Amino acid sequence: MEDQNINAIKKRKEMQTFIKMGSMALLFVAAALSSCKKMYGIPDEKDYLSSNVNYSNKVFEPILGRTSLMGGFNGDNSTQPLKFEIINARFGDGRPVTDLFQKRPTYVWTAPYNGLEKSLAEIEAKRKLEEHSLFEVRSSGEFIMWASSTNELIKPRPADSTNFAQDTRYFDVKITNTGGSTVIRDLQVRPFRERPYEPSDDFNIYSGLPAPHPKTPYNPASRNYIRPFLNGVIGQATDIPLQSNDDKKDVVVYIRPFTGGSGNSLRFKFLNKDSVEMNPALLNETAWDKIVHGFNMQKTATYVQYDVAYPIPLVEVSTVYAPGGTRDHAEFKYSRIGFGGTRAVASFGIDFAIYKKGDWEIVFHFLKDNPKFEDE
Amino acid sequence: MRKHILFYIVLAVCMIFSCIEVDAQAQNITVTGTVVEKATNKILPGVNIYMGSKGLIQTDYKGKFTVNVPANATLTFTFVGFVTEKVKLEPGQKNITVTMTEDKKGLNEVVIVAYQNRNKESTPGASVTITAKDIQDVPTSNVESLLQGKVAGLNVQNNTGAPGFRGSVQVRGLSTLSVSGSGSESFLQPTSPLYIIDGVPLDADKAAEFGFQTQGPGVSPLSLIPVEDIQSIQVMKDAQATSMYGSRGAYGVIIITTKRGNSKVPRVRYTGNFFVNATPQLRATLGGNSERQAKIQQILSNATIIDELRRLGQTGFLADSLNAYWNNSTNWQSIFYGTTHNQSHNVALDGGNDRFNYKANMGYYSEKGVIKNTGFDRYNLNMNMEFKPNDKFRFFGSLFGSLGSQAKGNGVGLLQQGVATNGQASTLLPPPSFYLSPDGVTSALQTQNSNSTRNIRTNVDGRYEFIPGLALSSSISYDYTSDAESTFTPAAANAQFAQMYDYEGRSFTLYNRNALTYAKTFGSDHTIFVNTFNEIYKQGGQSGIIRQSRIPNDQLQGPVGSDSYNSRGGGVLSNYKNATIASFAGSFNYDYKKKYVLELSYRLDGTSSNGLENPYSKNPAAGFRWNYYKENWFKDWDWLTSGGLRLTWGQNIVPTGSLQSIYGLYNLNGNFNNNPTIGINYEFVPNPSLKPTTTTQYNLGFDMTLLQGKVDLTFDTYYKKVDNLLFDRFLPNSTGFQKKSSNDVSIADYGYELMVTVRPITGKDFNWTVSFNGAINRDYLLRLPSEYNGQYIKFDYNNYQHIVFRVGKNTLSNYLLVNQGVYSNDADVPVDPVTGKKYQTSGLAFKGGDPRFKDVNGDYILDDRDYEITGNSQPLITGGVSTNINYKNFGLNVYATYTAKRTILNNALSDRLSIMKDPYALLAAVPLDDLDIWRKPGDQSKYPNPYSFSRFNQIRPLRSDQSLWQEEGSYLKINTVTLSYMFDKKFVRRFGFNNVRVYFSTNNLITFSGYNGPNPENVTSLGRDISSGYPVPRTYNLGLNIELNTSK
Repeated sequence: MEDQNINAIKKRKEMQTFIKMGSMALLFVAAALSSCKKMYGIPDEKDYLSSNVNYSNKVFEPILGRTSLMGGFNGDNSTQPLKFEIINARFGDGRPVTDLFQKRPTYVWTAPYNGLEKSLAEIEAKRKLEEHSLFEVRSSGEFIMWASSTNELIKPRPADSTNFAQDTRYFDVKITNTGGSTVIRDLQVRPFRERPYEPSDDFNIYSGLPAPHPKTPYNPASRNYIRPFLNGVIGQATDIPLQSNDDKKDVVVYIRPFTGGSGNSLRFKFLNKDSVEMNPALLNETAWDKIVHGFNMQKTATYVQYDVAYPIPLVEVSTVYAPGGTRDHAEFKYSRIGFGGTRAVASFGIDFAIYKKGDWEIVFHFLKDNPKFEDE
Repeated sequence: MRKHILFYIVLAVCMIFSCIEVDAQAQNITVTGTVVEKATNKILPGVNIYMGSKGLIQTDYKGKFTVNVPANATLTFTFVGFVTEKVKLEPGQKNITVTMTEDKKGLNEVVIVAYQNRNKESTPGASVTITAKDIQDVPTSNVESLLQGKVAGLNVQNNTGAPGFRGSVQVRGLSTLSVSGSGSESFLQPTSPLYIIDGVPLDADKAAEFGFQTQGPGVSPLSLIPVEDIQSIQVMKDAQATSMYGSRGAYGVIIITTKRGNSKVPRVRYTGNFFVNATPQLRATLGGNSERQAKIQQILSNATIIDELRRLGQTGFLADSLNAYWNNSTNWQSIFYGTTHNQSHNVALDGGNDRFNYKANMGYYSEKGVIKNTGFDRYNLNMNMEFKPNDKFRFFGSLFGSLGSQAKGNGVGLLQQGVATNGQASTLLPPPSFYLSPDGVTSALQTQNSNSTRNIRTNVDGRYEFIPGLALSSSISYDYTSDAESTFTPAAANAQFAQMYDYEGRSFTLYNRNALTYAKTFGSDHTIFVNTFNEIYKQGGQSGIIRQSRIPNDQLQGPVGSDSYNSRGGGVLSNYKNATIASFAGSFNYDYKKKYVLELSYRLDGTSSNGLENPYSKNPAAGFRWNYYKENWFKDWDWLTSGGLRLTWGQNIVPTGSLQSIYGLYNLNGNFNNNPTIGINYEFVPNPSLKPTTTTQYNLGFDMTLLQGKVDLTFDTYYKKVDNLLFDRFLPNSTGFQKKSSNDVSIADYGYELMVTVRPITGKDFNWTVSFNGAINRDYLLRLPSEYNGQYIKFDYNNYQHIVFRVGKNTLSNYLLVNQGVYSNDADVPVDPVTGKKYQTSGLAFKGGDPRFKDVNGDYILDDRDYEITGNSQPLITGGVSTNINYKNFGLNVYATYTAKRTILNNALSDRLSIMKDPYALLAAVPLDDLDIWRKPGDQSKYPNPYSFSRFNQIRPLRSDQSLWQEEGSYLKINTVTLSYMFDKKFVRRFGFNNVRVYFSTNNLITFSGYNGPNPENVTSLGRDISSGYPVPRTYNLGLNIELNTSK
């Protein structure tokens, strides 16, 4: 009896050991097999790098002095993120290019600008200065020419508008992910010289010299001007609406630096046909707080001045100051009693942009005739 | 495992144990006795009693027998599913009681390999047998749905509730990456296993050529088999087991054996089911005025421009609440969905013994779908007869006739687009009435759709043994199916013109198989078995449709085809078939002392659709089995009942191309010199060297049975590689052709399968069994044509849920925008440091409440460059658990299945949320309280703000191509709970019954899942939850088994 019991216990133990060992062995086999993805010859997963990656446009013509983002990369569904590197930058005659990659502090945005900021400090809190190469590529394959680039740091394209290879900067882009790497060759940068403000009709974009009048392009003595828009502005003497176009220039605009500002100033001035400042108070219907996103407005008898953050507009988004996003809309209005006793509202102004920090003034010059403020 | 031995193995068993000398000198005596079952002490009627190899008698219904035998004779008692008992009569013994025990040695099972019955112990292939008992008590139109979770590695997803249709079935993972269709209706080419019913192969994918857009009745051939008539189902998984079935066995083989007659007295058995299909949970909607208020509120609080507020006043159903037409509360879903009452009846008549037996099975099954105007009816008459006058000759004949009749309403069966659309209508609209019924409602409820499949299958099978061991068998079958569909859409449902649609199709298979087998044992240790056979299929089929898009009135429903303009469709559909397959196969099996088994096999398939340069596909296989428990080391371990170790390798080769891809497509290209010209179609270049798809599979298996069957364990691991899958390559345009069908895609599956059965209690009155099985399958893409550089995206411009194939990753991945939550506030939207602009899409910056999409390329613009590879639509883990408790006359069976680790694209939820995108539309309003949606700035939520209608079309917060809809599709489903009661035999015998059993069962009882959609199983094989899919109902069933007392 005892023996049988012992036997039974022994058997049970034997069985338990067997089951234990068996399950261990099974687990081991399972583990061994599952870890042996290699054993089955299953290739490792790699990122996909298409053989068709390319740029739709390989010639980049940024304007210096303002931030330009230039795209055109077609990844053909290659696995992102891709690593982009600019390599082998050289002029067409083989000289290496280094000026593009100088590091300078430049503004980067950290929070969205929306046009509702109440002070310059609030605006400045949304951006900060960072060191960046003047010309960069980012993870989307887009190229950036930062606003810190100047004519002095990067020699612009020739003033005679030629495109010789020795004046053109070439570079290649190396694109890498775990699936491999590929090089896209012979992209070009041909930077335009700085245009500190827009509209920039008054100077030549290649040479920076005064631009001739479009109707007489070969007459170096003729000048072109920035032109304002005019709505119902009647000439005091002529009693006909003032115009500003290729044929008639009753009013022109100058965008120019002035001295004596805070370094962050923007001033509006209005000159009559005698080049004497008109009192901005005459523009009685103007919404002065919607002219530009500026602060500390100083309204004197000769000008209106704001403290502003440059560039203007800060960001290409629609705000009350820049409804289209790209240009600030400065509109000056006044009203008077027109014919038949109705109140007529006249306005003039300019859609402008200024990219360079400084003290700028925008001058409206009524060349031929003064605007009529008197009632009929 | 407790498995029924097929009846004719009795013969083989007898032969083994029959070499007993009968003493001729002995004097005959009369012996009486009773045979009882050991565990339950129940009497066993119908037990065969032999003396030597000579059959004597069967026990009667009381389990009693009387024989006249020599005094010292040895009697052998055999009974299906029991261990054969031998009793040597003691001198003077007149009355004996024989107790028989159930055969629990899993390895003693009989399996069918290459059409031959074989002892499982001497076959190395991986196969699993399930018996009638495992699938009884649940009424279903398709037997396949009952296999779910029963066999490790057989992944059955009952992903449609449409009566008469099939779900998806895969053996050991993915075997194809062929996807057709687009959007939610993308359709993975089914790779169903080959079904063999009583030795006759059957094409289960027959109705699936057109994906979801089924043409014709779409009744699956498997829906025509009554479950009550099935004796056993054997699932063969590895290539060694399937390679002898040739190319058609590449996706596994499932062998269904119907019942045979086995009763001395004719038996009449009836099975009846009365079941209720309950509508699943439908989408909750706001009714009547609360819908109006919700929409007005949505407009008032989300309008961004004044015109949107003005439009509110111009929208009649919102503004004019007193108008009777717009002052209702109609539950549209209840008009289309409803609970149904259904029944099935089956009468089986059988009789005979292993010498001669017959069976007839008559069945009627009727199921009305939970979507009104849909349903499935089946009528069948099934007969077979087996005659085996002696061990040399066997003859078997069967006739199988069935009619499946289906109603699809105005949908296409698997999809009910019309119902889905109309179920979303505004509750403010008036319900259908005598005077008023919207088109959609009329269409769904009044469309007369009748379609039926009539199938007749006959089979004769003969076997003759010339000399002991050498046998010739031959089988001929003919299978004819006629499909017809007729749809009549009344004028009110079809823009004032009635419409007719007719489909007519027929198909046949003529099949012949001739086999020569030789079995011989040399000495006592060496046994060989040689099996050679050839097979010839002749298959044909043709179908056509005609559609009369306008007929004069609702009364004239035919003849159709009145004028050429309105008579559309017609012609022969692309499923025309005229094919011949000839195959030759041979296998050689050797075993030493039944301990070491080696099997080698080879098969040649010649088909008319192979490339000219590869007319024959070759299917070699080899397997080795080691029955380790027979080794002397284990001699003392009497708790180890049996065990084996299996290692196999095999290849299945499937022709992939069509005749077009091999020879090119030629068109009539107009006239030249007044002669019609025929030129090649330049889309595909002919590829005569097209290779067939090759599936190579390795399998390592381990079997163990402990303690006389108290514990059964089977473990398999496999590696399956599918090479030469068909894939289009784009050619350089200098070739003149666009594409080439090539073979440069390979995928691999590997996995593990475990099946454990434990019988902790096997008492007289109390039995308890627990079974568990599970399978892990991983699939990987191994190869793509080289120019794709490791990735190919199948773009889908329907709903932008692209599919991506990437080498080294799971084969079918989604290519989607990655959703990382919802912007809590406007300030959370990132800003481009370069431009200062906010992250944006379609020129509109994101705001609080918008989804936080991952900006993959870092350009602060969301567009089609921000897709990422994510997810896996194929399940990683599948399996089932079941427990069976018998206490006295009561039985309780609970059975559950599970699927884990798969990605579902919850398009149903996306559709549900998107209903709110346009408050001015005449659509229902759905309450979204149950969802974690963004409501006000500061909310941390999962789902974006669905109410912001004015920016909806730019931001598309609910766009379908985002990973927000990717959800884990794991679920545990209690498939069935069955409670049964067997009435006392003595009691029921008074009323003329031999047996009465009642049972209550439920099907699809409950699903546990973290999934947010309606049902994680009710999704397509690509893991997309279509809201127009057919919901899977819950079934409650009351059933009855009756056996008449036909003996004296």
